[in-house]
Amino acid sequence: MIKKRDQYLKIINALPNPGLGLGLRSKHFNYILEHNPAVDWFEVISENFMDSGGRPRHILRQIAEKYPVVMHGVSLSIGSTDPLNMEYLGKLKTLAAEVKPLWISDHLCWTGVNNLNTHDLLPVLLNEESLKHICSRIRMAQDFMDRPLVFENPSTYLTFKQSTIPEWEFLKYMAEETGCGLLLDVNNVYVSAFNNDFDPVHYINHLPHNRIVQMHIAGHQHCGDYIIDTHDRNVVQDVWKLFTQAWQLTGGVATLLEWDSNIPDFDEYHTELLKAKQYMSVMTGYNMDTEKLEYSSDAVSNPVDFLVNDFKW
Amino acid sequence: METKNITLHQLQNWMQGMLIKGSPSTDDRKVIEAVVNHSQRLSAMRHLNIYRSSYIARLRACLQNQFIALAYALGNDLFESFADQYLDSCPSESYTLNTLGEKLPAFLEQTRPDADLEQKESWPDFIIELAGFEYALSEIFDEQAAGDFTILTPDTPDNLLKVTPVLHLFSHHFPICQYYLDFLQHKEPELPFPEESYCAVSRRDYKLGLFVIRRAQYYFLKSMQEGRSVKKSMKYLAKNFEFKIEDLEKIWPEWKRNFITSGFLCV
Ligand SMILES: [Fe+2]
Repeated sequence: MIKKRDQYLKIINALPNPGLGLGLRSKHFNYILEHNPAVDWFEVISENFMDSGGRPRHILRQIAEKYPVVMHGVSLSIGSTDPLNMEYLGKLKTLAAEVKPLWISDHLCWTGVNNLNTHDLLPVLLNEESLKHICSRIRMAQDFMDRPLVFENPSTYLTFKQSTIPEWEFLKYMAEETGCGLLLDVNNVYVSAFNNDFDPVHYINHLPHNRIVQMHIAGHQHCGDYIIDTHDRNVVQDVWKLFTQAWQLTGGVATLLEWDSNIPDFDEYHTELLKAKQYMSVMTGYNMDTEKLEYSSDAVSNPVDFLVNDFKW
Repeated sequence: METKNITLHQLQNWMQGMLIKGSPSTDDRKVIEAVVNHSQRLSAMRHLNIYRSSYIARLRACLQNQFIALAYALGNDLFESFADQYLDSCPSESYTLNTLGEKLPAFLEQTRPDADLEQKESWPDFIIELAGFEYALSEIFDEQAAGDFTILTPDTPDNLLKVTPVLHLFSHHFPICQYYLDFLQHKEPELPFPEESYCAVSRRDYKLGLFVIRRAQYYFLKSMQEGRSVKKSMKYLAKNFEFKIEDLEKIWPEWKRNFITSGFLCV
């Protein structure tokens, strides 16, 4: 067990930094294939492609030939008390064999129990029992996939009374115990911190920075007394600030801008991503312009690209 | 529920129940406060409600994406109420959202408002057929099939012709395909009257093609799908339907041209 963990850790430590990446969205398929834009890499939602025998899979094959690709999933449900879904893992493995991703990630969450799926990234209980449970499932999943996996901190909207371990510490133990990598979503830290009264700076300071292989940045929606992680707009200054902090602490890792609804044209999406360059250093990162906060109350969290196939005629 | 030494499984089971079922009762509220922390700004109930409202809104939106013409035909409010009832009785059991609407046509059939009446209304039939057609389109879009076929010309000998594996034929009691096409072209179609209709759906270069076809063409292509040659299919139609072999032979060159350009045939 320890040997395996150390092997996984070695692989995680040796992962490359491919640079600044974008999420692959069906809206941009044609544009990307026609223009070969200078994006460093693409992140694909595994579930959008793993069952496809049609256009999405066909496009992904072409993109994977031209760009480095990372597979990002939403259905592993690593925190669930149901058994691991081996059919799902099998398909994930098949897709990975075809796409050859730099790494495969999912979330520290559960999506359902008793064979149901809420299709949401639900918060895990943060205590020792839960940590043990999750670590044993990470080991099983990694051994089946024959590679280390990478786990992302989700946006959370509640905490449990029974939780006893701060999330950053939970992630640190998880990585130590299993050799898995971490995906730090700085926007999620910001959202969860606002919703659950913790300090996002403290959270990021205490993560095991050498285990972070990737970051996510994204826009969210402020609803007054809570924030919903909508991925439907530009990144706010406070999140860029956290990004600068995380960039310094990690020494710079692969960074991806998530945008899952109200998706802009490719150029606008890419331009927002490239802003990351000016926030990599503290010196250039603080030319903060003022922002107008807009409150709305009908937001739906959109932690991933949850769209069903939208076929074009 | 005993909340003191609640197990991990009980906790998840409880939370999932809170998302999937309707409004929490007074007893539920007590449990919520015992299980979930409140924060500076929000009560435990409001924290949980963020997940509750996102759950239904997300899945509703997903069904709406999968059944765009159905949502148009029913109107937003009615579609939403059908979607909510559907999600309540058939919550997702899959890791993928692509199959979320799989049981919707059957659900609409089972819950049709005139189920117990002898005299059936016709609009539920239309709604059920449209739902089935839309779901079928999403399956055809993503089905496993070889990508390229030899391009045919009208000179390709008849005896070599076969229907492509990605050709799907539909017969309906309403003009479903026409309605769907009109909807896509923003023609704002009205609820149609019953009328037998036939259509073919093909997939070329991973894109779907929808074609309204005639009854004779439908049975002809069906016969070829069952493995008969062009000649045998004509005979089959003449024997089993009201079509005459001379008429079929006469119209065949035109059919052949159209079938080839529409991607129905291969060798
Ligand atoms: Fe993320």
